[in-house]
Amino acid sequence: MKQNLEILAASALYAPTRVEELHTKELVPKMTTRRRLTRAAKLVLELAHRSGFEQGRILYGSAYGELPATAAILRRIDEGEPISPTDFQNSVYNTAVSYLSMITKNRSEIMTVSSGDETAKALLQAAAVKAMDGDTLFVSATETLDIEKIEQVNRCIDYLESGAGFILRATDKPADLSFGRLQPLKGFAPSLACLIDLAQRCSDKNSPVLEVEL
Amino acid sequence: MSKRSSAFLNHFSVRAPGGLNAAALFERICTSDTAIEPSTEYTPGKSVAIGKIPSSDDFETLLVQTVEEVLQASDLKDFSQTLLAVGSSVGGMATTERIVFRDHAYGGVDPQMHSINAIVKMLQKRFTFKNHLSFSTACTSSANALGYAMEVIHKGVYENVLVVGADSLSFTTVRGFDSLGVLSDAPCRPFDEQRKGMNVAEAIAALLVQATPAEAAVEIAGAGYSSDAYHITHPHPEGEGAQSAMKRALEYAKIAPEQIGYINAHGTGTQANDAAEAAAVAALFGKGAAISSTKSITGHTLGAAGALEAVVTAQALQQQEIPPNCNLQTPQNGEVELPTAPRKHPFKAALSNSFAFGGNNTSLVLRLPE
Repeated sequence: MKQNLEILAASALYAPTRVEELHTKELVPKMTTRRRLTRAAKLVLELAHRSGFEQGRILYGSAYGELPATAAILRRIDEGEPISPTDFQNSVYNTAVSYLSMITKNRSEIMTVSSGDETAKALLQAAAVKAMDGDTLFVSATETLDIEKIEQVNRCIDYLESGAGFILRATDKPADLSFGRLQPLKGFAPSLACLIDLAQRCSDKNSPVLEVEL
Repeated sequence: MSKRSSAFLNHFSVRAPGGLNAAALFERICTSDTAIEPSTEYTPGKSVAIGKIPSSDDFETLLVQTVEEVLQASDLKDFSQTLLAVGSSVGGMATTERIVFRDHAYGGVDPQMHSINAIVKMLQKRFTFKNHLSFSTACTSSANALGYAMEVIHKGVYENVLVVGADSLSFTTVRGFDSLGVLSDAPCRPFDEQRKGMNVAEAIAALLVQATPAEAAVEIAGAGYSSDAYHITHPHPEGEGAQSAMKRALEYAKIAPEQIGYINAHGTGTQANDAAEAAAVAALFGKGAAISSTKSITGHTLGAAGALEAVVTAQALQQQEIPPNCNLQTPQNGEVELPTAPRKHPFKAALSNSFAFGGNNTSLVLRLPE
């Protein structure tokens, strides 16, 4: 089965270590909330802002989730120290989109998919299934891998922070893009490299349509 | 989109505190025989009560065993035409912890076996699946996988979906919940005035959801999802998000609240969760549906909880027996029906609730096929 998705907005963010051009202060005026945000939450907020997303169902993908919080927890335990409650509550994979929901008062469904290097495919397939209900969705993915000693396990990723966001809906219009033909761009986390390519291709087109094989 | 087919929960198997198979677990629940025990394994110098799978086999072996049992019970030769939908909140965290705490470095960590997708990788060593995806929404992970299984069958995308909820114990989760001050040093007492907190536990639950019913199948008739949009760990105090998820599940299933005979509660035993859930259930059902939490027997199995408790709920429907609230002495909320002994009772539909960090709420409607 195939499902076509009309992409109404698309954006991408990436940097070798940390994405700097964020509008977090404007998007989250309350400092006490802003201080608790994870890097992934900041990226998702930015992607939602750039996509013009306000309310509705959200799908999010990440292979490694909230790696900075996870690494901080592991380090504290390894050092025999108590762990930070904030790190723990920020360590679950749905943290980023949960903050987005809280900040935008969005009570709709939020779903987080994590399928390793195949996260982009799984995310778009899940989006295609959910979009069959007739809703417009906000779909985003991030990786935030800028942790101390990441070089011990990172051998191929040049952009330690990256993310892509899309507003999309199901359509019967013919596709001009196919997930199978997207290129996993070199230097990006394999989990979302195809999504960065998709976002870049969308910038050349007016409401492109993506075919997703289910 | 119109529904093309129904989704039937045909076969299931578990490895959980309290049972190495589904029948044993349900019997233990109905005899209020808790599997939760005090331990200092993850919190040196401090005793907290946790739930362990009573087996000397490692987690990966148990995972494969559980899925193998489902395959053997089914009409499938293999899973080559089956979608694997996993729900897990920690994935390969326990493996990562062993390496990092031994080496004090990340060099030995295989990123593929650290991530949530580690559960899929373990299963792919033994089985071939048509496709796979994993949900990680903390304690709603495998409830969301089950809801997705229902959706893809209703939409005609798949005819067979294997849902696996799996989370092992880890230092990260036990210490993490301890840092939040929500762990009990004794088996938890959901909905009790004197409840002192939750018990972290591990479990594996595998469920085969199919478009064609097998004998004694239970239908997954509805799923409701919502967000609290309130706080990253605390539920909305009136249970607004929980109520919304339950309402949406009922609407999807086209079932009235009066038709629900049993609610398997999220019921963690924390002050905040149980108060919010009881308020939500009271608002929607009053005393019309019996509600119990089975976490006093199994503990809170985190990302596996939704799948594990769907197995419990399915057995309650099959056996027409409402599981009791073990350890409940003084109910805090008198506006909901909280049985303290197993009760034989005719009912056709049930709800299973799962709530998570981030205000992520999922309710599933299970019912006996017409």
